[in-house]
Amino acid sequence: MSEQSQLAAQMRELVDKTMQRGVKGMDYIQSGNTPVGLTPKETIYDRGTLQLYHYLPVSDEVYRIPLIIVMATTNKGFLFDLMPGQSMVEYLLGLGFDVYMIDWDPPTMRERGLGLADYTQDFLPTCIEKVQEDSGVEDVNIMGYCQGGVLSLIYAATHPEGPLKNLVCLTTPVDSHKMGLFRLWANEEFMDLDNMVETLGIIPAEFITNSFEMLRPAQKAAGQLRLWDQLWNDDFVKSYRAFQRWGDETLPLPGEYHRDCTKELMWNNNLFKGELLQRGKLADLKNITIPLMAVMAEHDHIAPYESTKPLLGLVGSTDTNELALKGGHVSLIAGPNAMKRMWPRVSDWLEERSV
Amino acid sequence: MADDKQNPPADFSELVTQWERNFNEFSNQIMGTPEFAKSMNQFQNMQMEYQKSFSEAMARQLSSLNMPSRDDVVSMGEQLTQIDLRLSRIEKALEKANTVPEKTATKRKAPARTRKPPSKPEA
Repeated sequence: MSEQSQLAAQMRELVDKTMQRGVKGMDYIQSGNTPVGLTPKETIYDRGTLQLYHYLPVSDEVYRIPLIIVMATTNKGFLFDLMPGQSMVEYLLGLGFDVYMIDWDPPTMRERGLGLADYTQDFLPTCIEKVQEDSGVEDVNIMGYCQGGVLSLIYAATHPEGPLKNLVCLTTPVDSHKMGLFRLWANEEFMDLDNMVETLGIIPAEFITNSFEMLRPAQKAAGQLRLWDQLWNDDFVKSYRAFQRWGDETLPLPGEYHRDCTKELMWNNNLFKGELLQRGKLADLKNITIPLMAVMAEHDHIAPYESTKPLLGLVGSTDTNELALKGGHVSLIAGPNAMKRMWPRVSDWLEERSV
Repeated sequence: MADDKQNPPADFSELVTQWERNFNEFSNQIMGTPEFAKSMNQFQNMQMEYQKSFSEAMARQLSSLNMPSRDDVVSMGEQLTQIDLRLSRIEKALEKANTVPEKTATKRKAPARTRKPPSKPEA
């Protein structure tokens, strides 16, 4: 193709995209919330902030051991089920896994007193019992994401007798002193944590969102510029909106839980040191001897790689698998890269251990 | 050479990525100092103190006017949500009770838990 005709083709493409941007921009402004979390499911247990879902199996034959996804307490679980074709839950169901999820709703003022131990010594064990009842199987596998991974680790360390058989931790920070800016901003010298908890009762979602956004202040504006550039591209816009909705639906936290996490995990680093006590039980990660897979993102700005990396060195398991992938905290779980890089590796590991 | 040709859409995307990276790095340098952390927390504490004293004063005023405070309204809202949830649970239970015979007849068989991992090709 000559240089002139190449230039003409580029100009045509540019004009075409600009026109489409105008038309689709209006659609974008007028349309409502993007539907997310569409994979059919039943809520089998519901207790205030806690929700336990069972995704309806799609095959006649499933793996023996059910899989429970434990979502991070700051966000909704539909990150694992963004939309058809971009859903890890749908992918796992298609492979024959029996999938459950522990998800969270915004806590009410009545729940302001819920502490870390309520999550690890009450919510998780109760949900596991419910899954056992529902599935009729004694054993369970767990896959925890971010703080959901931390809760799963604390549960596993304080319940070494079972019934947990295998554990997958996705971007799970264990060395809180390596949490970069989060650690600095939550410095005990400057932060009046007790006053914050007493005054607010519930830590507002804006507080959490602002902390996340401050780590990458240009991300939102750059995202909007990319959206404008790609407005002609329906798939991009659909995916952008689903991620945006997920980010917008960040959850508030019970004050007491925030206090426990900040004091015990962030300030004292007690999980890393093996000194975390939960209702009289020592959550020493050395107690975990079950097969464990740790998945971490090399460019994670929320749970930095350095804070997630030490996990396998702290547990007592001999059957371990470490998977460090390119990507960030969210792109590790959902989106095209996750579909190619993370999902198949995790499902391969779990398949052999779910029979 | 083809590589030297300009491609406006790709250039724009690269420009945005570069700007984002530079801005984030620059901001993180500023925000990554103890001075910033101290000022941020001081500002937050001040905001909370203000919020606390304002809501206490407002609660006193509302109480003297015999009107509910924000806490009372939030608490009432939460009670209503609880009642709503209970009602929906009762509704679901009733629906289930009324449709038991029909459902039992057409109930989907639970999948067998006998699945085995696909055999991997030998290396």
